[in-house]
Amino acid sequence: MLRILLSDNDDSFTMNLAHLLHAATGSTPQVVNHTALAARAPAAEQDLVVISPGPGHPDEYPCYGPVLQSGRPVLGICLGMQIINCHFGGTVKALAGCVHGKSDTVVMTDADKTLTVGRYHSLHCATTGTGLQVTGRTPQGLVMALRHNSLPLYGYQFHPESFLTAEGVWCIRHALRSLHIL
Amino acid sequence: MLLSAPPARAESCADVCAGSPAPRQDVPLHPMHESEFMAGIEPVESLHITAATPREHMQRFCSNRHTPVIGYLSYTYGMEQYDIAAREHSFPAGLLRRYQCVVTGCTRTGRLRLLADRHADSGLVDSLCRLLQAGSPEPPRPHTPVTAAGPLRQSLTREEYQEGVRQTQRHIAAGDTYQLNLSIRFDLPLATPPDTTALFLHLWLNRPAPFYALLHDGPLTIVSTSPERYLRISRGTVLTQPIKGTLAFDTWQPQLVHTLTSSPKERAELSMIVDLLRNDISTRCRFGSVRVRDHCSTFVVDRLIQMYSNVHGILRPDSTPLDLLLDAFPGGSVTGCPKLRTMQIIDRLEPHSRDLYCGSIFCFNGPDHLDASVAIRTGWHDARTGVFSWFAGSGLVTDSVPENEYAETMAKARKFQEALCP
Repeated sequence: MLRILLSDNDDSFTMNLAHLLHAATGSTPQVVNHTALAARAPAAEQDLVVISPGPGHPDEYPCYGPVLQSGRPVLGICLGMQIINCHFGGTVKALAGCVHGKSDTVVMTDADKTLTVGRYHSLHCATTGTGLQVTGRTPQGLVMALRHNSLPLYGYQFHPESFLTAEGVWCIRHALRSLHIL
Repeated sequence: MLLSAPPARAESCADVCAGSPAPRQDVPLHPMHESEFMAGIEPVESLHITAATPREHMQRFCSNRHTPVIGYLSYTYGMEQYDIAAREHSFPAGLLRRYQCVVTGCTRTGRLRLLADRHADSGLVDSLCRLLQAGSPEPPRPHTPVTAAGPLRQSLTREEYQEGVRQTQRHIAAGDTYQLNLSIRFDLPLATPPDTTALFLHLWLNRPAPFYALLHDGPLTIVSTSPERYLRISRGTVLTQPIKGTLAFDTWQPQLVHTLTSSPKERAELSMIVDLLRNDISTRCRFGSVRVRDHCSTFVVDRLIQMYSNVHGILRPDSTPLDLLLDAFPGGSVTGCPKLRTMQIIDRLEPHSRDLYCGSIFCFNGPDHLDASVAIRTGWHDARTGVFSWFAGSGLVTDSVPENEYAETMAKARKFQEALCP
């Protein structure tokens, strides 16, 4: 069984993500609020830390530096991916005509696969941070997935846990394979 | 019909949760058509809920297997659960109530059932038995328009509401919220107390919806005409039916359904809330059990076409219906998403207290059976102030048009306005 810590950024999709992680791994994630993350020194005890979606900009969530520097595998979803990007010097800016609750297509370049996904975001990764490689984009070129070249970090801008995403379990397993957990 | 009957005793007063009346040929049948009703007569025990009421106390109250419980939870109770300080208000945070007698029935079959508490007054039971066996009573007292003692007050003017839409859109652009439900409170001072039973029956017969309720709580008489189910839990099977996406019409035309369901904006509004409700029931549902069915279905209510979806789940064995009712509260369709930050923004944008509006009215028929509405299209008379209050609101998204959202809100508000002061 994997030890999964799911950090909740006061989001309303966190339990959807917990259910999806269970469906993809058979493990029950331990959910903690992001404000309790620093007090727990969690990374060393976990096989995987998942950073949930949430409101606002990555700058509002300074608690993730130690997790991202720990060398333990991290999967970031939506805000979680933006947090990874900002940590490595990338920029997150307003998306003209933000998209919420709508389906879109994402071409995954690290899997030769096209996904139907649910998108919820007002902000996007305008530039990618040092060492990060884009692994998925919309047909218009927006960054929808990325990984780190040498650290076990993976992110999705779209919401694999949304009912609008057709293959959520595949998305989680694909990320975990990339992180060498599966 | 018991509802149109005179009370069993002059001083008796029933709390009622009622589904739709028997369908009429000229009204399209609501696909959530609920034909069952429940009337609680002569309270034997009430528990007024506050933010500090321990869950075990509520659980004990609802666990009585013999007599149903009718109750409500105010939106302000939900605010306190999220550590948002409710502004000054005089409306209780919630109520649970058991009765000497409960009449249940079905408007479709006409069957009635009387449940009496072990300690029920035998005279009350006898008089109710006689009343139920007598068949159809006199027609209900006619509803007459009220006499206002002052002008109708509106908590947000047209311009203020539209500015609220624009402020919400700035929050959306900043990533604070995806969707926010912004409401207006309407207060009408009355010269004399209204006949709320007649008002309730007038609306129930002429503006049917599946989750009507008439509740009495001290100086408050609550008339709820909600079309929306918050939760139904029966022997572990969970159903929530979020409504989002609205099209008002004057003359019904079948093609209007396509106009609504083909709108990307309206579909996205509902999809967001479906994902939110999936999340909220997932807190207490078994892994792998949560499913969405009939996405973007429609029904007609209050001269509006509305979209809804069915979200199902299976309650975990270690959880009770009350656990889910409280943990998922308030309903996501009347907050927005993400819930916490959106509720904080609502608190800054709305100058009024929502009180019961956007809370829930519910029945426990034994500890394993719960049916709860979202308390929208809901108003009440407060005997302390002589004011009848009602509310209406709209879900705001990035591509909302301020004038259109205001028009939708006012269309929803017309139900009470037309009935009270046509």
